[in-house]
Amino acid sequence: MGLAYEFDWGVLWRNPYGMYLLQGIWVTIKLGLIGWAIALSLGVLIGTVRISPWRWLRLIGTAYVEIFRNIPFMVQLFFWYYAGPMLFGEALQYRINSIIGLNYYVAIIALGMYTASRVAEHTRAGFSAISRDHYYAALSTGLTHPQMYRHVIIPYALRIIIPPLTTEFLTIFKNSSIAMTIGVLETTFMSYKIDSETFHGLESTTGACLIYLALGLVVVRLMGILESRLKIPGMIGR
Amino acid sequence: MFDAVSSNLPFLMGGFWVTVKLAFFALAGGIPLGILVGLGRISRNKWVYYPVTFYVNVIRNIPLLLVIFWFYFVMPIIIGSPLDPFPSAVISFIIFEATYFGEILRAGYQSVSKGQIEAGYSTGLTYVQTTRYILIPIALRRMLPSMITQSIVTYQDTCLAFVIGLPEFVRRARIVDTLEVRSIQLFGFVAIVFFITCYIGSVISRRFEVREQEGG
Amino acid sequence: MIQIKDMSKWYGDFQVLKDITEEIKQGQTVVVCGPSGSGKSTLLRCINGLEPFQKGEIFVDGVSVSDPATNLYKLRTEIGMVFQRFELYPHMTAIQNITLAPMKARSKPRKEAEAKAMELLQRVGIPDKAHEYPANLSGGQQQRVAIARSLVMEPKIMMFDEPTSALDPEMIKEVLDVMIGLSKGGMTMIVVTHEMGFAREVSDEIIFMDEGMIIERGTDISFFQKPKNPRTKEFLDKILI
Repeated sequence: MGLAYEFDWGVLWRNPYGMYLLQGIWVTIKLGLIGWAIALSLGVLIGTVRISPWRWLRLIGTAYVEIFRNIPFMVQLFFWYYAGPMLFGEALQYRINSIIGLNYYVAIIALGMYTASRVAEHTRAGFSAISRDHYYAALSTGLTHPQMYRHVIIPYALRIIIPPLTTEFLTIFKNSSIAMTIGVLETTFMSYKIDSETFHGLESTTGACLIYLALGLVVVRLMGILESRLKIPGMIGR
Repeated sequence: MFDAVSSNLPFLMGGFWVTVKLAFFALAGGIPLGILVGLGRISRNKWVYYPVTFYVNVIRNIPLLLVIFWFYFVMPIIIGSPLDPFPSAVISFIIFEATYFGEILRAGYQSVSKGQIEAGYSTGLTYVQTTRYILIPIALRRMLPSMITQSIVTYQDTCLAFVIGLPEFVRRARIVDTLEVRSIQLFGFVAIVFFITCYIGSVISRRFEVREQEGG
Repeated sequence: MIQIKDMSKWYGDFQVLKDITEEIKQGQTVVVCGPSGSGKSTLLRCINGLEPFQKGEIFVDGVSVSDPATNLYKLRTEIGMVFQRFELYPHMTAIQNITLAPMKARSKPRKEAEAKAMELLQRVGIPDKAHEYPANLSGGQQQRVAIARSLVMEPKIMMFDEPTSALDPEMIKEVLDVMIGLSKGGMTMIVVTHEMGFAREVSDEIIFMDEGMIIERGTDISFFQKPKNPRTKEFLDKILI
């Protein structure tokens, strides 16, 4: 075996490193949850727009999805963070750049907008999985369009898209780690910071891995409860 | 307009070349390992199935960024001397992407219905012939669009090697930006290059999907 | 009850229905048959305004379907429709499927809607399946729930779009029996089907459609015994074995 490496797992809880990780977890959760709120509302909107009867609206929806999905998230993050303020012109640029915690806001919005493109795809696919006759069946009994969407189509589509959205919800926490590249002090950043102060990166990153695994288990458990409450009896879930 | 890009074009494109090379090695290693992982996931031998499943579930629930860091920290301990960012990144990507390719393979295999296999046997084909002429062609065609999509994702993911100091495309753009402060055109350029290459890839992937549907 | 006058419909450049003229009187059962893609299903969807048409007119009980002033939602409550693939709402039980429209479109109290639904489930022969979800029902049972779902609005007309073609042979009869009962009870019906036994037993008129046109019509005896059009003969030979 190569270098004599002495493990020091104490970096996971010793002062101040344990505190670093706790702060990181809190930031990761905030990034994930607020980003998810943006992603869900924007994504469902764009997904719905993509199946609307208006051609130019569909076009905008398609363009959004293609742009956000074909550029790596880190590049998007850099663009919004470094180039974003410049887009507002010289005068505003300096004021925007002086906002405290700008990188946090950019990270949350960029994460939300990126994930929205994926949510939009699942939404679109969910609605397209419902046959035209299913819409007609509801209308033929005399339901109005709003009633049809409210009682028949949306509850049905929701049940189709919840499993893929669960996966996206898990992914947003993982992707939030990329926010460290613009200096957001989330879990991955903190594990790296511990390395730079102690040279025990192996232990700190292993600890961070366990944190993400635990977070993932919690999310899966929560979504499992939601899915079982909404599942359609007799139809196989995932 | 594009002065910062044009005057640094060789430097930037050198970074793009690093990105492409990294993606190539990641796929050249990730797909074969992914096939093994996929076979492990459909294996009936529990000594194979459970360890492989554990590996897949752990890796898929960890951010890629952390996997990159982890291997960057662990490799020197294993080989006894510091490892360059490039090989370290290649190893992380192979280990990471193989789990995704493995799951695609498993899904493709499971998409072939029992009836199709039985139809093969019923017409007198042997096990090997059924596998060769029915199972593999059907599964492969079902998997192809996902494989292409995952390859595009891998290519996009390579920019994360940024964090261990690999001078790939995005890092070089960042270096130029630190000196010249031309963020819009520099990151805009990077974004456009990624967009065009990935978009072409997604069009190819979709073409295979359409063909599959037409073929019934 | 239904008058269709010189009605034509296009999908873009493609004409799916060509100058359809037809009259269906109260209490009549009309069977529509013809090869797939002949426009039969589209015709049904035009009658209750689910799909627009570009030329001609359709009157249902004296009301024009294409008139912008017509309340299509109200019109549709008077025309029940049954689909090939049942189209039951998968997230609702059988009885919830049936009571949704009365409660929402007619604001009936739940108690009343449920009592009516149970009565109809009794009539289609599956009162014990009221609280089952569609996925737990057989195809024949699902289709009977779908029929009850349409009947609950007390429609004046019932339209069936190939109601038995997605069913296993042993389930076809249970659905046809319900339809025969309806027809004999005086319901005005338009039925797209290839079940010629059903056509013989209850239809007042049989229409044969091909390439968007009605190319032959007749009462059952004349239709089966001496079809005038060679296309009709060819088609009948195929489905009558």
